[in-house]
Amino acid sequence: MALVSTRATAFKSGGTAVLARRVAGKLGSLLLTLFLSSLLVFFSRFIVPGDPVSFLLRGRKPSPEAIAQVTTEFGLDLPPWQQYINWIAGVLQGDFGRSLQYRQDVSTVIGDRLPVTFGLVVMAGTMIAVVGLIAGITAALNRNKLLDKSILIGLTILGAVPSFVGAIVLIAVFAVQLGWFPTFGSGDGFLDTVYHLVLPSFALAIVFVVLVGKVTRSSMVEQLDREHVEVATSRGLGRGAVVRRHVFRNALGPILTVSGPLVAGLLVASTIVEAAFGISGIGSLLVQSVDRLDFPVVQSIVLLIVTTFVVVNAIIDILEPWIDPRSAAGAGAR
Amino acid sequence: MNLLDIDSLTLELPNGTRLLDGISITVAKGETVGLVGESGSGKSLTARSVLGLLPERATMGGQVLLEGEDSLRVSQQRLSELRRHSASMVFQDPRAGINPMRTVGEHLTETLRLCEHLPAEQARQRGIEMLKAVRLPRPEQHLKQYPHEFSGGMLQRVMIAGALISSPKLLICDEPTTALDVTTQAEIIAVLTEQAKSRGMGMLFITHDLNLAASLCDRVYVMSQGRVVEQGSAQGVFSAPQAEYTRKLVAATPTVAVDPAAEVAAARPVAVAATADRAGALRARAVSKTYTIRGQAPVRAVQDVSLEVSKGAALGVVGESGSGKSTLARIVVGLESADAGEILIAGKERTKAPRRRAERLAHARSAQMVFQDPYLSLDPRITAGHAIEDALKLHSKLSTLDSRNRVLELLDQVGMTGKHAQARPRTLSGGQRQCVAIARALAIEPDLLVMDEATSALDVSVQAQVLDVVAEIRRERGLTVLFISHDLAVVRRVCEETVVMRHGEIVEHGRTLELLGNPQHPYTRLLLDSVPRPAWNREVAVQSAT
Repeated sequence: MALVSTRATAFKSGGTAVLARRVAGKLGSLLLTLFLSSLLVFFSRFIVPGDPVSFLLRGRKPSPEAIAQVTTEFGLDLPPWQQYINWIAGVLQGDFGRSLQYRQDVSTVIGDRLPVTFGLVVMAGTMIAVVGLIAGITAALNRNKLLDKSILIGLTILGAVPSFVGAIVLIAVFAVQLGWFPTFGSGDGFLDTVYHLVLPSFALAIVFVVLVGKVTRSSMVEQLDREHVEVATSRGLGRGAVVRRHVFRNALGPILTVSGPLVAGLLVASTIVEAAFGISGIGSLLVQSVDRLDFPVVQSIVLLIVTTFVVVNAIIDILEPWIDPRSAAGAGAR
Repeated sequence: MNLLDIDSLTLELPNGTRLLDGISITVAKGETVGLVGESGSGKSLTARSVLGLLPERATMGGQVLLEGEDSLRVSQQRLSELRRHSASMVFQDPRAGINPMRTVGEHLTETLRLCEHLPAEQARQRGIEMLKAVRLPRPEQHLKQYPHEFSGGMLQRVMIAGALISSPKLLICDEPTTALDVTTQAEIIAVLTEQAKSRGMGMLFITHDLNLAASLCDRVYVMSQGRVVEQGSAQGVFSAPQAEYTRKLVAATPTVAVDPAAEVAAARPVAVAATADRAGALRARAVSKTYTIRGQAPVRAVQDVSLEVSKGAALGVVGESGSGKSTLARIVVGLESADAGEILIAGKERTKAPRRRAERLAHARSAQMVFQDPYLSLDPRITAGHAIEDALKLHSKLSTLDSRNRVLELLDQVGMTGKHAQARPRTLSGGQRQCVAIARALAIEPDLLVMDEATSALDVSVQAQVLDVVAEIRRERGLTVLFISHDLAVVRRVCEETVVMRHGEIVEHGRTLELLGNPQHPYTRLLLDSVPRPAWNREVAVQSAT
């Protein structure tokens, strides 16, 4: 009992200080993660086979002078750590280097394609949230009934469909057969883009809907059995309020936890979907750049994905005390 | 018309199991009615059915009239209203029963706000009023706090406040103090009776603790296996039980009351055996342990504790949660290291927690522990016999056949048979599981057996059986026992000597009977006074005192 009350006072007096320290700690580990991943991203180039110089000079007969010139031009003659410092210093100033294949700044190349991918991910994310949550909640509330079982079976089947197969089926049915949506490209203007991205984002969302749906269901089912839910019911609260305020609210934690990796997963999976729908986003750019050994572009895109992943997870970590007040006090979840 | 009138209530699961069979119970206005019985007797189920909290797909029969309305048959809408205004429930474990992610204020006022559509400020005022009524010190501040900032006793007050906030006519209490310390229990009971009296509420009080029911209730119903086996005035039922089951229950219930005549009659063979060997089985000198958690005040769990148990004796360690008694037990069996002091078991130095394998084995042979919850301390996938055999094989070089035979012997000692060796923990009852845990601890033939709240999770009749087993083994083998418990009455049954711990220190030490009969330290007295006693005995005691 004494233990609990000292905890309580510690929490009271240092509420904001605890939060500030927590956020600072998170930012520290975030920067460290980014630094380590930048090392990994940069030096992986020296591990994978292939020499950027030979790509640059492809189709020509490389004279030793030409090789030397290109090597110096792109700074490839410097020792690796020097190259890293040059690269990371540039990155920090917004200069990601030059694309070998487009002979343009990497930031321009990526910048042109980023909005489309961003739109794709946002639309897919919305679909995942809406469909996944509805499916999960409906299943949990009808636990062990026919509806629950059908939803579970449906989700399992969907989960087994790879996104490229899903993409082909969607194109075949909705674009070719029914002609409701375009088969190709990303459109011009906001509405047209949204229209073009409906099928791709759907194809992208499928697998993740399954994930979110299943996590939501199991998390809700676990909460439904909690005694505080029974207490709330016994107090005369309506079913809807009980589910909203006590079941769903408490089930949020695990759902939020899976959404972190999910964002990165979306970016990675978008490579396949973009290729299938002929959308020129950063996903298809990544595939293409790997193919052509365009290292500056590959490095930048991978760094972008890693950064997104790390930042999203840090945000979720910082949000955690808001979801579960117990974790803020460091009192340990019971 | 009675406030509550349950008439031949039955509850049947889809698979045909009848959990409640013809229950009839009445509660009048202003009356406190006890519902006692062991786990699985259906008492909680009966109480929950009043509020329409039923297992899924259960088939109900009979009727539950709450202020004349059948709560089994009213509409959902009306049921919600009954739950708010007619009957309300206080649950056993406030830690589980109050949403940890919402503030206490939200817990208290949500029905007022969402169902009665009271303005926020008015609801807040009602919340403050209720927290005052249950005697919480800082109501305004508490409303903004989260449950994890409260102790168990405070949280149970919050639960009571929540149950009373919409002024129900009937309060159903389902083991509301079982998860609490005895002194906290006394406070909570005081709050409950005070509220019931001032509001003229009827109270249906469910408990497994006969002493508590006897101290509190006007009438009691005794339930067993889904039936009411006996009913009547509390005094009538407990002092002259008619039904076989009630008699068994009353006999199994330990008490702290010391009756000198009876004690003299019960000669103590164990105590005689204890004096035979004065070499201490356990000797602890000035043991201390402090936990430091970053950013918090250090917790001095055990402070300068010295005790001695002679071979074949049993020492009780009594205290409330946070008194350091479990930490002491963990230090003795080598799960933790003491910061200072010295521990000798059968003359061997056992102060530090063992690190290497050989040390661990040696320490294990010195002291074995039986843990509180046999559901958790046995591996659900390993059969009882195998669990014991594993311990045997670790410590001896017996052949498989010999160790199998030894397992059967051990099971026999704890009152079980060979067929139980094949059983997985899931198929055993709570008492049987605890006996398996004891047999496993004994397999190593330790110098000392530490029992940490080893019977707290068990029903009284099962507890009595397990305690009998322990007594039997002690008689036969002269086993030395360190018996950790919060329950003075149980300690009294097992131990010749007792120490009382509080805030990590020993406050009193003496022969158990003297300690109970004539406590010296104020804290021991408080503990004893907090133990519920039958209302009629209390009156007798008061009369004889004056």
